[in-house]
Amino acid sequence: MKTIRLAALVLALVVPVAAIHPKGDDFNSVVKLIEQFYGVKHEGIPFLAKAGMKVGTTAARIKGGTARRIAEAGSIKLAVFENQEFNREFSQFRTSLNTALTATWTPLIQTISDGGETQTYIFLREASAKFNVLVITIDQRDATVVQVTLSPKNLALLLKDPEGTGKSITEEATIIDQE
Amino acid sequence: MKTLNMTLLAAVLLLTAVLVSGQTQDQRLQLSSLDHLAAKAIETVDVNIDGRLMRMASKLLSDEGDEKEVKSLIAGIKGIYVKRFEFESDGQYTSADIEGIRSQLRGPSWTRLMNFTSKKDGNLEVYLLMNGEQVGGLAVLSADDRELTVVNIVGPVDIEKLAKLEGQLGVPDLGIEVKKEKKNDDK
Repeated sequence: MKTIRLAALVLALVVPVAAIHPKGDDFNSVVKLIEQFYGVKHEGIPFLAKAGMKVGTTAARIKGGTARRIAEAGSIKLAVFENQEFNREFSQFRTSLNTALTATWTPLIQTISDGGETQTYIFLREASAKFNVLVITIDQRDATVVQVTLSPKNLALLLKDPEGTGKSITEEATIIDQE
Repeated sequence: MKTLNMTLLAAVLLLTAVLVSGQTQDQRLQLSSLDHLAAKAIETVDVNIDGRLMRMASKLLSDEGDEKEVKSLIAGIKGIYVKRFEFESDGQYTSADIEGIRSQLRGPSWTRLMNFTSKKDGNLEVYLLMNGEQVGGLAVLSADDRELTVVNIVGPVDIEKLAKLEGQLGVPDLGIEVKKEKKNDDK
């Protein structure tokens, strides 16, 4: 009886993680992981899905002409969670996220600030002669998941300054969205 | 006979792979014992730039501009691992936490370097891993009342390269200043 209870407990702990393990599309899996872990819902971005990212200087213009385009044109995938409750539990979330992604993605930098109020995760993977970057940012009330493709030139920027460039990638994606 | 030779070759290759992987494992410090500090810290930074990423980057970065600069910084490096914790108050980590890292640096291959100073307050220790004549890695342990940082670079890196890496590739600014050799002016 004790063994059955133990097995049931192990199963209960393992199944939720296994159920959200990525199969194919890691971006959607990460979005689903956040939804399941924090009990939140992301907002669809039909504009971006249809239009993709425009070639040109949209972001630069909005930022006053000084910003530098980072993501490759048409490469942005974005999910936004706005005005929802993200509790400070980050330890188990971080473990689940790393377990879900490390088979196909390489972790670059992970930061937890203000005692868990802000979490940032950056993962990388090779994509032919370019790189995919996945940036996940979770604040107390908002979260974003951004996947972009980077040229080697911008990979160099990301490696030099992972935190700053990761932040710019998220800003670039959300600024385009706000346009 | 041919099958036997092939089996022998496969065994040798496997043994070599195991030995090489074991060696890299030794060069890389086990930092997971510090993970529990994240719950007490107001800021935690965890950098994991492993060999896979270094190889990808070296292969694709060109020899121009920023790409050239990063390519030369990472040349030969097999991994950069950083854990940094910043606390709101004193006494959030114990000597046992530091001892868990220092004990790994007491191995015969690790040597503590003294030819540097830091512009920052607190205790800064730099260790070099020697594989015979070759530098196999470097470790930095920086501790003050409210901050604990461990940097582990796997591969051929000296303190001057460490100083160049500061503030880049996830390596925090440690304020390292390499001491100049004193010239003998008694003429």
